[in-house]
Amino acid sequence: MRQFSTTTVEQRKVFREDFDTHPMEVAWAGEAIFFIHAEEISGKDTALTASVQISFDGVHWVDEGTAFSSITTTGIFFVKVKHFGGWLRLAGNVNGTNPEYKLTIHLVLKE
Amino acid sequence: MDRLITYDQRLAKYQPLKNILCFDDFDQGMCGWMNLMPNYTLENFGVRDSFVEKTQWGPIMLSTATFRFPGTHGAMDGIYSLKLATRPVANRYEEPPAPGSFSHTIKRLTAHRPPGLLQFEIWYAYTPEMDRSGLSENAIRAFGICFDLQDDKSRNFMGVRYVNAVNGTLKKEWQYMQAAEVSDKSWAYGKEGDWCKRGVDPLWYGERKPDGSTDGFKFIPGSRQELCYNETDDKINWLYLRLLVDTHKKEYVEMQSRDKTFDLKGIKATNVSPYARIEGLLNPLIWIETDCHRRVFLYVDSVVISTA
Repeated sequence: MRQFSTTTVEQRKVFREDFDTHPMEVAWAGEAIFFIHAEEISGKDTALTASVQISFDGVHWVDEGTAFSSITTTGIFFVKVKHFGGWLRLAGNVNGTNPEYKLTIHLVLKE
Repeated sequence: MDRLITYDQRLAKYQPLKNILCFDDFDQGMCGWMNLMPNYTLENFGVRDSFVEKTQWGPIMLSTATFRFPGTHGAMDGIYSLKLATRPVANRYEEPPAPGSFSHTIKRLTAHRPPGLLQFEIWYAYTPEMDRSGLSENAIRAFGICFDLQDDKSRNFMGVRYVNAVNGTLKKEWQYMQAAEVSDKSWAYGKEGDWCKRGVDPLWYGERKPDGSTDGFKFIPGSRQELCYNETDDKINWLYLRLLVDTHKKEYVEMQSRDKTFDLKGIKATNVSPYARIEGLLNPLIWIETDCHRRVFLYVDSVVISTA
């Protein structure tokens, strides 16, 4: 059987500015999906972009190349990644006037 | 049933009682250990109001213990340990813990043998996130292990923690869980109507004083102990910790850290009236708490839970 794990890396947190998600060690996994569940959005001309980042030590990070399309509405969104080494996180950019995003972010890992 | 026992070589570093309930080596996966979460029983999966925010504790993960220049430590056996990782946030010690200042893991079990001796053993290591130069042993506030138990008479938290640093000052003493004679309101940092009762969740409830004491724990006399933190934040050494309790007498028996055993015989657990729907509860817990705005990590190579 293949190992599997789903982790809520950010839970119903309100983001008003740029953020990075909890650094997750994922060396055992071969594939990953990041889900962003946007439950509430407020502000004017709001847009959220989020990019997958990888790292060799969990401290120094670089874009992996996978990114979410701009999130401007509530809903559930995802990206898939493979071949990511030992660490994964999302780097989020929150744009707009007085933006507020209430987000839950899941990381789904499979061996 | 007669047993022919062939010991797993990985058990040689443990001292289990006769009946092993769990031998969790995290090279085999998460083994049922998970993040602690509150009860999502309200409208839209809301949680009850509490002074302590439990939805934000730092998530656990399977770790290779990898650092910038040393590379991969791996685990004591194999590659993977279970890593508890706080978020980079803390309040002063005497304030209620900041959301995210703990990382906490729980395995949800129930008792299946008559009450008696129950033992919790781990091999572990700890260090802060090495995100800056220098030596940061004092970034880690405390870590520990405990059982959350309930039978038809009482709920009992029995555990120990290492108070490493308090507001940046190294303390390095062991404490055992035992609630002071305070009201439920005082236990919840003076908050009226908090769901928690005195004696439950002493990890974060119970008022704290700047000397490292708390209404949730008591110091073990003469327990200041060096734990081989090592000379830099990116070198970890695996350490042994063992807690033995008696669930029949509802008393502590002893704890062992590294090669030193502390006698706890006769120390009573705090009795709390049973909560609904959790009779038979036998939950082992492990946690770590940061003392500053910095992530700190507890790596658990493996766990053995055993009974007499």
